[in-house]
Amino acid sequence: MLSRDEVEVVLFTLGVAALSTILIFPLGLGAALALSRYRGPGKGLIETLLSLPLILPPTAVGLLLLEAFSLRSPLGSWLAARGIEIVFTWKAVVLATGVMSFPLLVRSARTAFEEVDPQLVGLARTLGCGPAAAFFRVTLPLAGRGVLAGTVLAFARALGEFGATVMVAGNIPGRTRTLALAIFHDNQVGRDDRAAVLAGVTAALAFVALWTTEALTRRLRRRAEA
Amino acid sequence: MRAAVLAVLAILSIPRAGSGEDVMVFAAASLADALEEIARGYEQASGNKVVLNVGASSDLSRQIQAGAAADLFFSADRAQMDVLEKAGLVRGADRGELLSNVLVVVVPAAASTRIAVPADLTQMRRIALADPEAVPAGVYARTWLESIGLWPALRDRVIPTLNVRAALAAVESGNVDAGIVYRTDAALSRRVRVAFTVPPESGPRIVYVVAPLAASRKAAARDLARRLAGDEARAVFEKYGFRVLAPR
Amino acid sequence: MIEVRVEVPLGAADLRVEAGLPPAVTAVMGPSGAGKTSLLQAIAGLRRARGRITCGDAVFLDTERGVDVAPEQRRVGYVPQDAGLFPHLTALGNVRFGARGDQAQVETAIDTLDLRPLLDRRPATLSGGEKQRVALARALATSPRILLLDEPLAALDVELKERVLPYLMRIRDELRVPMLYVTHNVGEALALAGHVLLLRERRVEAQGRPLDLLSSPGLSVEAAAGIENLLPGRVVAHDAIGGVSRVELKGGIPLSVPLAAARPVGAPVMVAIRAEDVLVSSGPVKGLSARNVYEARVEALERTGADVTLRCALPAAPAPWLARVTPAAVEALALKAGQPVWLAVKSHSIRLL
Repeated sequence: MLSRDEVEVVLFTLGVAALSTILIFPLGLGAALALSRYRGPGKGLIETLLSLPLILPPTAVGLLLLEAFSLRSPLGSWLAARGIEIVFTWKAVVLATGVMSFPLLVRSARTAFEEVDPQLVGLARTLGCGPAAAFFRVTLPLAGRGVLAGTVLAFARALGEFGATVMVAGNIPGRTRTLALAIFHDNQVGRDDRAAVLAGVTAALAFVALWTTEALTRRLRRRAEA
Repeated sequence: MRAAVLAVLAILSIPRAGSGEDVMVFAAASLADALEEIARGYEQASGNKVVLNVGASSDLSRQIQAGAAADLFFSADRAQMDVLEKAGLVRGADRGELLSNVLVVVVPAAASTRIAVPADLTQMRRIALADPEAVPAGVYARTWLESIGLWPALRDRVIPTLNVRAALAAVESGNVDAGIVYRTDAALSRRVRVAFTVPPESGPRIVYVVAPLAASRKAAARDLARRLAGDEARAVFEKYGFRVLAPR
Repeated sequence: MIEVRVEVPLGAADLRVEAGLPPAVTAVMGPSGAGKTSLLQAIAGLRRARGRITCGDAVFLDTERGVDVAPEQRRVGYVPQDAGLFPHLTALGNVRFGARGDQAQVETAIDTLDLRPLLDRRPATLSGGEKQRVALARALATSPRILLLDEPLAALDVELKERVLPYLMRIRDELRVPMLYVTHNVGEALALAGHVLLLRERRVEAQGRPLDLLSSPGLSVEAAAGIENLLPGRVVAHDAIGGVSRVELKGGIPLSVPLAAARPVGAPVMVAIRAEDVLVSSGPVKGLSARNVYEARVEALERTGADVTLRCALPAAPAPWLARVTPAAVEALALKAGQPVWLAVKSHSIRLL
């Protein structure tokens, strides 16, 4: 059904999507928490900036990342001097997918955190919890459904990321070729039949990811209402 | 609201000054600049409008097969034209082999890389090529590297790009150590330097083929095709560094 | 001893409180918006404040010396109006939440509040009164220095109020935990508190003994509907045939209540009579079915909402009785301060706590 190369592509895509989701998870929760609490000036501006990757064309985001991390840029050359190369490597894939799926996690998590009654957090504090303990023992469990939904959404987005990835990581077989990029390439070189197979695999993966969220969300809701 | 829609439609249907035909030309990326110039001259002379769609010949041929409304196809190799002929989209008799080109290895202008012999390429960590699986420039490059036995060593360092101009851009950005492009592309960029020229005798035979699409009924299409083979166009191509082939 | 000398920024007008509170129960009273909840939050550390707050020998806040102890270190137990139980935990999970493994404290709290049968239940399945008890146990399980209760009975109906009040008394008497108790209800204040802090428009209007404060008219104390007369006494006898039990209130006042054979003779009780259940007569009553009739004198009349509350002094009674009548009744009986009246209460209107 799938050639060895194609299986590698699938595994690579899953690995990269998982890694990028794991990396943005603490950052995303932190940003969501800060946004849900912060009521000062500039809140609207920060929210808009964080949501930009959702609305900008992925290629625009990819271009920005390419400029920022290119070997000529200050950041890129600084990293290269320390032996860290981003552009045209799997790290660029993780970077691109992470940036593109980050806003999805933040938005879901933020809504979930905002729905947690602040009085409950205050009560946890009087009961002996420091801010971190209050977060992990009260805020996070109560926001669990929203956070989970946001995480799986981010993962699914990472699975399918194309525009930003192709710009900053290139479509290098065996190194940066994800499922989405492989589909594009197969079509480019006239192998539409393989492209269709890979598209089917992507659809199946996305389906499983979303189905799992639904099931988990339902289970969490049932437990909360028991 | 309705008034606005009608106004927009009216504006769109206004025939342009010098109302002639629109000729849609799908051409290899390496031809972009030369064709721009030729097209301008043609528009002034004929009153027709030329719409240029440049990209990887393999990509364009695929678009045409999928139904894109091209009038003229100018491919950087025979293979992509063969595909269309086999599909019945182009008539063999209409094909014209106009140009040839030369492959060069370019490096970033500021780099001090020396490539005295092809084997020096193994010093490069990353080499940009137009996708060697299908894009003519990349296929030519791979064919050459295979012919000198360097492909197995170099294939893992290849960064495949969408077309030859993208490979050029990759070298310009400094994100790759070297790239294999046409001499005509290298000549256009001040940010790259030619480090090695593939001798035409030992390199692959590069042939650019042009043909009108059989489905195109536009007189202007054939008109332009003839003009491309003419003397004025020849001068422009040579100016950009193409080798013009003897007419059939 | 709890010393509070704070300024709490509250938008338009800052709350300013200077008070020294005894270590038992202090009722914090006053109209809505007076700052009662904000005061509690400031003491708990949940609201910014400037000044000085000490609880016993612990300093919670001392702005001059740069001390501002975080809420989790103050060891105060906070019980809000709606209990504030964590919905994702069972009752037991809630009670255990801050106990830090001190199983003994948890058990004591559970037993004090009679929570054994409720432990596995989720907050969503508990009644209002049960929720309050769990919230109280949760606060108690942390061995708090002080309990801060924000109108804990306000959301409960009269029956539930009467059921939870005894638990609060148990906490006060058996566990001896000091409390700051925000309430609108005069009866609760009288039943529980040894000290009252009256707030009005973000300032302290008065503080002192409950009897002194709550008996003087002109202070902005709202007597909400509920138990207004809470009278301590002792069970004297049971009359099974007559269907009554006899109670002697403090001061020697006899009272007939519905038969409560479960209470042993000699046991102390708290008697609850609603002000609206106290009938007022301008002359002595004869031939009335009500068993409990007493001579009294009107001390003061106070407009409370649409009605009038009479504060009536009974000879020998340590605290005045409250009776609620309509303005029409006041006019009809020409009631005024200093006037002798007769108060009558049906046995059935009396509840034993």
